[in-house]
Amino acid sequence: MTKTLIGKRVLRNEDPRLLTGQAQFVDDVEIPGLLHAAFLRSDHAHARLLGLDVSAARQRPGVVAVFTAEDMGADWEPGPPLVSPPPTAKDVLFHSRRQVPLAKDKIRHAGEAIAVVIAENRYIAEDAVEDIIVDLEPLEAVVDLEQALHPGSPLVHDDLDSNLAAHLFQKKGDYEAARKQADLVLQRRIIIDRGAAAAMENRGIVADWDERSQHLTIWDTTQAPIPIRNGTAARLGLSENQVRVIAPFIGGGFGPKMMMFYPEELVIPWAAKKLKRPIKWIEDRRENFYATTQERGQIHDVEIALSRDGHILGLKDIFLHDTGAYDPYGLTIPLNTQCHAMGGYDIKNFTTEVSVVFTNKTLVTPVRGAGRPQGIYVIERLLDAASKELGIDPVEIRRRNLIPADAFPYEHGIIDQAFSPLILDSGNYWPVMQKALEMIGYEKFIRDEQPRLRQDGRYVGIGITPFIESTGVGPYEGARVTVEASGKIFVATGVGTQGQGHFTTFAQVVAEQLGVAVSDVRIVSGDTAEFHWGTGTFASRGAVVAGNAIHAAAVIVRRKVLELASKQLDTPEDELELEGGRVRVADIPNRSISLAELANLANPLRGAVEPGTEPGLEATAYFGPRYGATAFGAHAMILEIDPETMMIEIKRYVTVEDCGTVLNPLILEGQIHGGVSFGIGNAYYEKLHFDENGQLLNASFADYLIPSATEMPRIEVGHVETRSPLNELGTKGVGEAGTIPVPALFAQAIENALADRELEILESPLSPNRLYELLSRKEAG
Amino acid sequence: MPKLFDLALTVNGTRFEQAVEPRTLLSDFLRHDLGLTGTHVACEHGVCGACTVLLDGEPVRSCLVFAVQAHGHSVTTVEGLGSIEQLHPVQEAFRQAHGVQCGFCTPGILTTVVAFLDDNPDPSEEEIREALSGNLCRCTGYQHIVDAVQLAAKNIKTAHQQPAR
Amino acid sequence: MKIEGQYTFDGPREVLWELVRDPQVLATCLPGSPSVRQVGEHEYEGEIGIRVGPISGAFAGQLSVTNEVPPASCTLTVEGKGKVGFVKGVGNIDMTDQGPGKTLMKYTGEVQIGGRVASVGQRLFDSVSRGMIDQALGKLNETLQARSAAR
Repeated sequence: MTKTLIGKRVLRNEDPRLLTGQAQFVDDVEIPGLLHAAFLRSDHAHARLLGLDVSAARQRPGVVAVFTAEDMGADWEPGPPLVSPPPTAKDVLFHSRRQVPLAKDKIRHAGEAIAVVIAENRYIAEDAVEDIIVDLEPLEAVVDLEQALHPGSPLVHDDLDSNLAAHLFQKKGDYEAARKQADLVLQRRIIIDRGAAAAMENRGIVADWDERSQHLTIWDTTQAPIPIRNGTAARLGLSENQVRVIAPFIGGGFGPKMMMFYPEELVIPWAAKKLKRPIKWIEDRRENFYATTQERGQIHDVEIALSRDGHILGLKDIFLHDTGAYDPYGLTIPLNTQCHAMGGYDIKNFTTEVSVVFTNKTLVTPVRGAGRPQGIYVIERLLDAASKELGIDPVEIRRRNLIPADAFPYEHGIIDQAFSPLILDSGNYWPVMQKALEMIGYEKFIRDEQPRLRQDGRYVGIGITPFIESTGVGPYEGARVTVEASGKIFVATGVGTQGQGHFTTFAQVVAEQLGVAVSDVRIVSGDTAEFHWGTGTFASRGAVVAGNAIHAAAVIVRRKVLELASKQLDTPEDELELEGGRVRVADIPNRSISLAELANLANPLRGAVEPGTEPGLEATAYFGPRYGATAFGAHAMILEIDPETMMIEIKRYVTVEDCGTVLNPLILEGQIHGGVSFGIGNAYYEKLHFDENGQLLNASFADYLIPSATEMPRIEVGHVETRSPLNELGTKGVGEAGTIPVPALFAQAIENALADRELEILESPLSPNRLYELLSRKEAG
Repeated sequence: MPKLFDLALTVNGTRFEQAVEPRTLLSDFLRHDLGLTGTHVACEHGVCGACTVLLDGEPVRSCLVFAVQAHGHSVTTVEGLGSIEQLHPVQEAFRQAHGVQCGFCTPGILTTVVAFLDDNPDPSEEEIREALSGNLCRCTGYQHIVDAVQLAAKNIKTAHQQPAR
Repeated sequence: MKIEGQYTFDGPREVLWELVRDPQVLATCLPGSPSVRQVGEHEYEGEIGIRVGPISGAFAGQLSVTNEVPPASCTLTVEGKGKVGFVKGVGNIDMTDQGPGKTLMKYTGEVQIGGRVASVGQRLFDSVSRGMIDQALGKLNETLQARSAAR
């Protein structure tokens, strides 16, 4: 069947509602009698909670209730573990410590919730929060990753004997033996620091307990409505069927909304059931900086062993990973880092060891990239260092090491975030990189333009960074496709959507099978009443896993349609085609029947049906990949830097992406643009500054700088398509691709621009100030 | 009991009268008192621009304006630009150019752009980016938004239409 | 963060020392002239209003004086808590004679801030604290000149 809709730049179904302000986000939910919550949060990063006096707050007019940990009684319980350590890895050490609904005895990070006020409106609730008297005994905060592991360091969790949260050792081949054969061994220390996801929509939750029907409805800015439903039902002693979780339109996810059972998600539904009143809590931006998860903090001590001609013989990476005050999300991020530290290169010997460290800072859970950028940063910086030492061109040294096209599926053997052995399923790496080099005019720039610019006293540099991205991981997703009596198609799936165009790409997948207009396919996602099996939108898997489940269901529906139509039209199935909402006989166009008629025939109100018949034209299907598909890409950039102010201007930015079958190029480009913008923020503008007391010093957009329209260049997007053998659609994920290589690319391009200063950059994020500091330090010798 | 103020103002062409607390923000008044939830609140400290509405035709951050400051004035929100059945040319251009992903920053950008194109019907890309620099978007990287503004400018010129304020 | 600086006073060291050790005098130097009460041999309490950029609020403060070497040096420890955050600081003051009627005061200290005043006001804290200190020392100097003249 020829593809007519897959790969087309179809305009989005959801846009008219979003454009006219008619789309419902969580804060838009209004319910009669709605109460509003505000949380009292700790100003200190580490403290003993000695006492709380909420009496004044309770007496303020308009306040309905104030709850503390003590008030929750036996219902007070830390959140559930979300991701267990990989059962398939050997010698894993893991201390599970999860976030609590309201602090009891101890505060472990600035912004941790201590009490909640429920009032008639948010203004009164915030006033009442200030009425609460808190008796805190400040403790020395654990902030520096290395000092946290020194004996004698204050402990984030007193019941452990250190701040070591977890430890995992993995190896492939034999690095020590490989090292002995090397002509060059390089060692480096690489430090990467935290950034925020900073979605435009802050988090929020509305919980409505209806006492008469004994039913709880929750609207939540979550990327995982189904697990939220299941866990909330369990905690409140309800049947899963008594709880409905709706993730309506979400204003950007980027990872932290995949963190589940945040304190507010533990408290608000409980409070709603207790008060028998609907309650809304909406986070404000300052809370978002403290109470919504963050990511990226790691310290790497790495070593690479190479032969004289630049072949990587082996790699060793020993690193610390900052998990913040709790570790509900298991080892997902450090596993991703381990699995990306080899990049797309043919490395046969690899030793990696991670120590996960508790600190008195906000929790760490995946943020767009989820540990992959750190891994890519490590290998790309090492290759740049090696290229300089060995006198081999930086592009050439990469070409020599990239996994060749005939080596797929390429097995690395170490365990990945989905607990499976890391296998790169398919790819054609060098041509992707070549295309990026061509698009940016790499050779010409190095040969002709750069020398000319240098002579004019301008500092313009170029970089190119290839990378892999693990995507489309299991376990599974599901979908139900139904032909309705109107002839339009209804699709329900479990994953939520946060702007990546699911309403359209999923509709394209269905319309492709059923021959209808994309606008005639209605998608409902993220509503547990419509579909209640699945995990969520994360790890660049929505289109791959849910998309393929939808495809599978649509294929079954198509079969049912053809079977029934064949009987109705008295024509063999292989002579029928679906087009324009009708089934028609191939060469006799006026012999046809509409999908609407077929749907009605399939659901008779009277008469008898044959035994075993399923009513309607509907199918439910699930898809779970054997393992995640690995995408590949290359970014290239030309940037100019002012050597005095260190301000940069990106002259050109090129990306070439191989994410298998492309469902909708328009939406794909949007994802790449957005991902690169996120990555540019990570690389040069954004850093969360914590002081030595665990205080976040830049908790507003005035001081935490996310790129605006004047910082962003135009991004040129190129494609290569290597179908994945792991699913019917042949597709791989791409949601995080734009972000992953950017910090490494910046380091390379800036070093190239400032080549005469011979600066080596081994940290991320950078900034004009920091770059100035690094250069001054270098010049001071 | 705080002293209330008898607020009277016009929103999207309709007159409203309501007693409000002086400290009520315009953004909260529009969203919760009038139920016009198209205007979104993303930072409440005047940096991100998501809450931008037109006050007597000029873009303002409604999170930094008290509702009472709009007394006697005219406010236009995204709901006043167009409807699903009849999109404003700027809205239509955003659809064509894929200038929307999650849609949270979009209403603030639309009002900003409508006012901008009114003053500057033939802008260069640099001018467009400058005009957008007060609106943060985390999803799109701005490129398709810039494309949308260029397309809107072109279409509006072609249709000889004045954008609604 | 570190705070350090110096100020040349127009008066003799001995008189300046008396003023520094008098909480009522210190109070008049702070913005809003708050009330300061002595609650222990070397401990004082008071309330003060502080504005750092967009953040303003009242702080309940405690001050203690230690390591006294009259009339040359002492250590001041300050703790302030309020709705908008907290401030903790330790500072050393060193006073030396600079000739007749002139005293040089050098101060160095460490200040920790937390809460809203830290997360939103941090950028401005340096200049605000410097401004507050300069203002306070200026007022102290006026008081010093008046008292010296009266002798």
